[in-house]
Amino acid sequence: MKRRTFALGSASVAAGIALDSALPGRWMQSVARELNASAAHPTNDRILVVLQLSGGNDGLNTVIPYRDELYLKARPNLKIDAASVLSVTPEMGFHPSMKDMADSFESGRLSVVQGVGYASPNRSHFESMDIWHSCQTKQERHGNGWLGRYLAASANERDSTDAPGLHIGGEALPLALVDRQVQVPSIASIEQMRLKKPGVSEPTSLMNEGPDPVSDPSGLLGFVSTSTASALAASERLEKAMATPDQSGDFPSTGLGERLKIISRLILSGLGTRIYYVTFDGFDTHANQPDAHAGLLRQWSEASGAFCKSMQRAGQQDRVLLMTFSEFGRRVSENASQGTDHGAAAPMFFAGPELATPIVGEQPSLSDLEDGDLRFHTDFRDVYATVVQDWLGGSGTAAVDDGVERPSRPLKIFRS
Amino acid sequence: MYSLSQSIAPSTPISAIVPTWAWQPWSPSDEEPWNEARVQLMFRRGGFGASPQQRREALRGGPKVTLAILKGEDRSAAGRRETFELDSEAIGTSVRTGSSSEGLAAWWLHRMLQSPSPLLEKMTLFWHGHFATGAEKVMDAELMYQQNQLLRRHALGDFRPMVQAISRDPAMLIYLDSVSNRKAHPNENYARELMELFCLGEGNYSEQDVQQLARCFTGWEIRRKMFRFNPYQHDSGLKTIFDQADIESGEDAIDCVLARSAMPRFVCTKLVRYFVCDEPNAPDSLIAPLADQFVRSGYSIGEIVDTILQSRWMLSQWSVGRKIRSPVEFAMEWMRSLEATTNLEHLARMLRPLGQAVFYPPNVKGWDGGRAWINSSTLIGRSNFVVDLLGDPNTRFDGKSLEQWCSDQGIQDHKSWIDWLNESLLAIPLSDSEYQPLFDRDNEGAASASRANALITVSRIPKFLLS
Repeated sequence: MKRRTFALGSASVAAGIALDSALPGRWMQSVARELNASAAHPTNDRILVVLQLSGGNDGLNTVIPYRDELYLKARPNLKIDAASVLSVTPEMGFHPSMKDMADSFESGRLSVVQGVGYASPNRSHFESMDIWHSCQTKQERHGNGWLGRYLAASANERDSTDAPGLHIGGEALPLALVDRQVQVPSIASIEQMRLKKPGVSEPTSLMNEGPDPVSDPSGLLGFVSTSTASALAASERLEKAMATPDQSGDFPSTGLGERLKIISRLILSGLGTRIYYVTFDGFDTHANQPDAHAGLLRQWSEASGAFCKSMQRAGQQDRVLLMTFSEFGRRVSENASQGTDHGAAAPMFFAGPELATPIVGEQPSLSDLEDGDLRFHTDFRDVYATVVQDWLGGSGTAAVDDGVERPSRPLKIFRS
Repeated sequence: MYSLSQSIAPSTPISAIVPTWAWQPWSPSDEEPWNEARVQLMFRRGGFGASPQQRREALRGGPKVTLAILKGEDRSAAGRRETFELDSEAIGTSVRTGSSSEGLAAWWLHRMLQSPSPLLEKMTLFWHGHFATGAEKVMDAELMYQQNQLLRRHALGDFRPMVQAISRDPAMLIYLDSVSNRKAHPNENYARELMELFCLGEGNYSEQDVQQLARCFTGWEIRRKMFRFNPYQHDSGLKTIFDQADIESGEDAIDCVLARSAMPRFVCTKLVRYFVCDEPNAPDSLIAPLADQFVRSGYSIGEIVDTILQSRWMLSQWSVGRKIRSPVEFAMEWMRSLEATTNLEHLARMLRPLGQAVFYPPNVKGWDGGRAWINSSTLIGRSNFVVDLLGDPNTRFDGKSLEQWCSDQGIQDHKSWIDWLNESLLAIPLSDSEYQPLFDRDNEGAASASRANALITVSRIPKFLLS
């Protein structure tokens, strides 16, 4: 029997209520119930932007327990002490290069969810990332992800013909967005989405042919055909969206800044897309961490600050949520290369609308470690379920799909 | 039950493929003759496509001759090799000192396009994706070049010396932070990836093994761009890895990892995926004969590749269209089939938006391949690539214009051009609904424009993405 704990939505109460999970037979019923329930939900037009920090962000040097003796001791070279931290509470402060995010925190539009992770943490980047994307271990996985499942389950409620989700970036489509029933386009850049037309003849029409009627035993032919059709549609729609006036405002001219600017432009152009996904790589700081990490955190903080301001200027701040996670945190003790190795639990971040509480759950204890790593108290799947149910108005159970029955509001992150 | 000679239907589930049948050398029969489709399948999977001339030789000679052409062991290769290596060296010398990030890629693309041993380049590309190392972190063209040569040297050799060598390779040491692996507090990066990505696969080791293995590699540093063992930073205590309690050195630790039963399975599974089919992964029972051969041969990569490329399974109709062309395969096959040449640095730049910039793998896992190649941006990228390549005045076909090249191949009208493209560039032939419109929409302009437009149109048909 699995046991799972839920963090309550208050800074002072960390974790506590243990809940026995349902048996497989029962959860099928509960999925059906949830699906019906979600159909009754009033549809909303809220948007979720997921920001993935790839490589394993050092959570401990992001939101920092700067007075904790154990922290100072574990990080003789890497510690950020009381003198330089951007303190926001007597126990917690942001890394000094995260001014924009510390400001958002103080204005009540940024929340930190502490101690997020999962049981038996996997320290492989790829396996752990796949677990975060699919909510399932390798043995349980069937090639789709939590957002893909959410989009598939909510397909009937959509009234927009625009892509249900968009991935902005040059890397492969994240597993989180994959589901056989939905096509999520990837946009490396606006320029790269422009189809060149060589003139005289009309070569694109054949690209749009449906799957071949002949046999397709591997399924690959159908896959490349629908992908091509979706690429052409996205290319056309994007061209239209980018023809509207640019009201996104200033963004830092970093890779992440540019990607978030594209998202801002698309949202402000009235695109009906509700899920955006962007990744930011480089957090695997095994060596020479101080400068590298400071640079990454600055880029992240400045880009998300610009994004939130952009939404505010346009009066969209209450319907656009920016959620940030990483596949794991890092080892509490630093290594001898001025770096940190792969760890476990880490914080997640929510920014944009006014949030229920600034800090959800407590900083995991530094005296009670698991193999030298922080212990999680909040399962990331509970966070996802909360986002899908409370923010998007969908079925968290269908999205997370891990066979665990959750209360209707596993965590208190949002005001309503 | 299948008899040994019987083939399999294209719709046979992978779990029903009989291992003893699959890896026997393919031989022609009345139902399965050695034909143009098989010639091309072998050239696509074992190389980067082939010129009309090479295809004719292969068709005459059979699978053994085709394999010899792929390996550069045919008669014509010997004559071409010297000029090719001189050209390659000249390009290599200029780009290693240059500052352009596309330079090294240009050097390698030249090898893929012109090498008399395309299988060697194909396998070097495989190992580049396997022992993935990114130039954006190494930031040293010379070291990236040396690593590429190391991969080429071992590409069809034995796996053990290869792993030993790559573990001391300066570019790898920089990429996975081994340069700063000190005994006081070992850095786990290389140790983890050696087991997870290079030799065993996730789930075939414990966190304890990672930590112990990391201790073995302490003191493995580079000095003046060369590997150096620093005994002062090496933890010389005994380590226990996989219940073997007497491991001291990094060399012994690597051998201990290589001796795991998961290793041959892991490597052979990846090779089968590279050559035969993207998905699903072959069941262990189908991999077992290869894994056994790998062990018996002293981990000979070349032997396994020979077995796969000549096998009944690989050369069956089942395998056709079971892979998605990687961007490099897409571009190189297109170019080799048409004997195309172009400005190499420009080519390297044009390839980036397709999602496979060589020397810049996305991360230490390399390129995932298969369906992961395909998304909206890379698809638009592939379409634009063909337009850009044809629009570049540097692009020539055996030194000629496309129109002249067609004419020299005996392709005189639109229909024979469409038929040639259908037969030469596509793994799965065009259906009627794809074939007919190529005539309806035929533009009656200049022959050169219509040759190019037909080529663009065919290259953009979704089916073109399959190998």
